Amino acid sequence: MELSNQPCSSEDRMLALLHGELGAVEECDLQEHLADCEDCQLRLEGVAGERCSWFEAREFLVEDPWRSSIAQKALDRHDQHSQSPSMSALQIQQVLDVLHPTDDPEMLGRIGGYEVSGVIGSGGMGVVLKAHDRSLDRVVAIKVLSPHLASSGAARQRFEREAKAVAGVLHPNVIAVHGVSNDSVLPFLVMPYMRGATLQKRIDAEGALPVADILRIGMQVAAGLAAAHEQGLIHRDIKPANILLEDGVERVTITDFGLARAVDDASITRTGVIAGTPHYMSPEQARGEFVDRQSDLFSLGSVLYSLCTGRPPFRAETTYGILRQITDDEPRSIREINPAIPDWLCKVVERLHEKNPTQRYPSATYVAELLEQCLAHRQTPNAALPAELQRNRTNLVQKPFVYVAVAFVSISVITVIAVSWNSDGQIASLSEKKASIPVMDPNPREAISIGRADADLGWHDDAFDSPSDLLDQAIQLEREIQDSFLPLEKP
Amino acid sequence: MTIFPETRDSLIVQVKDQENREAWEQFSQIYRPVIYRIGRSRGLQDADAHDLAQQVLISVAKAIGQWKKVDDATKFRHWLSSIARNALLNAMLRRPNDLAIGGTSINETMHNVSRPDSEIELQIESECRREIYLRAAETVKASVEPSTWDAFEQSVVFGQEVRDVARQLGMSAGAVYTARSRIMLRLQSVVRSIQEEI
Repeated sequence: MELSNQPCSSEDRMLALLHGELGAVEECDLQEHLADCEDCQLRLEGVAGERCSWFEAREFLVEDPWRSSIAQKALDRHDQHSQSPSMSALQIQQVLDVLHPTDDPEMLGRIGGYEVSGVIGSGGMGVVLKAHDRSLDRVVAIKVLSPHLASSGAARQRFEREAKAVAGVLHPNVIAVHGVSNDSVLPFLVMPYMRGATLQKRIDAEGALPVADILRIGMQVAAGLAAAHEQGLIHRDIKPANILLEDGVERVTITDFGLARAVDDASITRTGVIAGTPHYMSPEQARGEFVDRQSDLFSLGSVLYSLCTGRPPFRAETTYGILRQITDDEPRSIREINPAIPDWLCKVVERLHEKNPTQRYPSATYVAELLEQCLAHRQTPNAALPAELQRNRTNLVQKPFVYVAVAFVSISVITVIAVSWNSDGQIASLSEKKASIPVMDPNPREAISIGRADADLGWHDDAFDSPSDLLDQAIQLEREIQDSFLPLEKP
Repeated sequence: MTIFPETRDSLIVQVKDQENREAWEQFSQIYRPVIYRIGRSRGLQDADAHDLAQQVLISVAKAIGQWKKVDDATKFRHWLSSIARNALLNAMLRRPNDLAIGGTSINETMHNVSRPDSEIELQIESECRREIYLRAAETVKASVEPSTWDAFEQSVVFGQEVRDVARQLGMSAGAVYTARSRIMLRLQSVVRSIQEEI
C-alpha cells in the first residue's frame, strides 16, 4: 500500500483534530494520512474513547424497540408535530399533483381561480398554499384539505360547513374567510395571506413572554373566541400554533376555526386515535365527552399558561400520559417556574383550568373584559384590578361552601372533643387512633397519586373507560399480582 | 470496564416524595423503556410490553415509600428488579394465550421467565445503560452535521467498511475516521453528564 508522505501525529495533535482546533490545511493533511495509516487509525480511536465505549456504542445504538414503538404510535396519530418530513412532503406532493396546469411559468399550478406560487406549510389537516387572486389582485393563503381526509365524506361536509360558519364571523381577531370551495377534488378555503409568525414560534424563540404581552394576546384571543361563540361556533383546537401574530401590528388572529372537528370525523372513527397535539385539550375533550364553548376556555387557560412559563401545562412522553394529566392533575404552579408572573394572573389561569366546565369563567366575553381590566391595571397603576382578582376576596366570593364546610367540621370536632373529654382520659387514645388511620388503611389511590392531583372537581367516575377506570383496574390488577405472588416472595 | 452507576440516592428520595412529580417523570422516562425492552426480549408483544412497563411503574410508585437504604449493600436496583420480576412473571402467567410466541410451550416460557434474579438484575443494568446511550446519542445527533452522524452510525453502529461509507457520503476515508471519532468523544461526555443527572 502506498503511504502518504505525512508523518504520524502525536496523540495531542489527534485530540486537537477531534476538537476541531486544527487549521483547514493541517486537518486535510492529517486526514489524508489517516486514510492509509492503520496505526494512526487505531490510535485515533484510542484518543476518542476506550475500547469498551466503542463496543457499547455498537451494541446499544443498533436498534431500540421502544423508540420504534413510540415512533410508530406517533405516525399512527398523524400528529402534526411528530409528523416525519417524508410524510408531510408526501402530503404536499399529493396536493400539488391535483393542481391544474397554468400557463404562467412562475407559478406551480392553479386551484379554483387562483394561481399557486408556493407552499406555506403543512399540518395534520392539510396543506397551506400561497396563491395570487387574479380577479382582485391580492395575495391569499389557501388551505387545502389533506387527501386522506378528503376521501371521507363526513370530513368534507364538516370542512365546508365549518368554513362557512367561520366566514360568518366578522371580527378583527378571527381569520377572515374569503371563500370556500367544495367542488374540486380537494376542498379548500381561501384566507388573507398574513406575514408573521405563529404564537408557537414566538414561544419557541423567546420562552415566557412579558406580562403586558400575555394580557394583550390573551385579551384578543378571548375576544375572538367570544365573537365565534356568539355564532355558536366552537374552536376545539385553541393552541399557540393556531394563533397568528401579524408582523409589525400588535394584532392577534385565531385560525383553524372548528376545523379540528373535520379531522375527528375522519380519523377518530377510523382508528380510535386522537388527531393533532393533545397538549391544549380540555378534560372533557380528553375524555371524548360532549364539548361546548367552555372547552375553548380551558384551552385558552393552557395557552396563557404556556405564555407565562414558556411550556405547555401538561406534559408527558405519550399521548395517553398527557390526556391523563389533563383529566387528573393540576399543572405545576406558574410562579414556581416564573416568579415574575403576578398572583392575580395565576388566578385567572387557575380559574380557566377548572376541571369542571361550569366552574370556569361564564364566557369568553367575560374573560376578554377581565383581561382588558388587568392590562389597564398593569399599564396605569391608578387603574384598579378587577375586584374578584384582588387579594383575599376571591375565595369568599367563589367558594362560600368551603367556609361553611370548614365551620361545620370545626363544630363537629369540638363536639367530639367535648364528648371525649367527658369520659376522661380517652382523648389521648382517640387522637392516636386518628393519626394512625392512614397507615393502617393505605388507600391505593393515594399511594399512586404521584402525577395525580386530588382536586379533580370535574371528574365523572361513570365515564366509560375513563383514565380513572383504567387506574382502578390497574390497582385491582396490582392487588391480584401481589396476592398471587405472596407465596413466591418467600425465600 | 465501565462501572454501572447506582441510581443516585437523591433521585430515589425525590421520587419517594410524592409531591415531586418531576423526579417521578425523570425516573419513569428512564425505567419505562427499560422494562418495555425486557418484556419484548422475553417474547411479549408491543402492547403487552407497554402494559408491563405501566404495571411495574405502578408497583414502584406504590411500594417506593417502603424502600429504605439500610447500608451500602442495599441497592435500589435489586429491589426494583424483584418488583420487575414479579410483575413480569405475572404478566406471562395471566395471559399465556394472548402471547404470540408460536411453538413455545408454557413450560419453555416459564423456563425463560424464571431465570435467576441475578440475570434479570444484569439485564436491568444493561438496559439502563442502553437507555443512557440512546439518550446521549439523541443529544449528540441533534448537535452535529447529519453527514458527521451518518459517518459514525454507518461505520460504527452498522459495521460498514469505512471505504464504502466514504463513497456513499462523498467524503474521504480520513474524514470518516475523523467524524466518527469526534462523535465518540462527544457521546462519552454526554453519557457521563446524563449519568451524573440520574
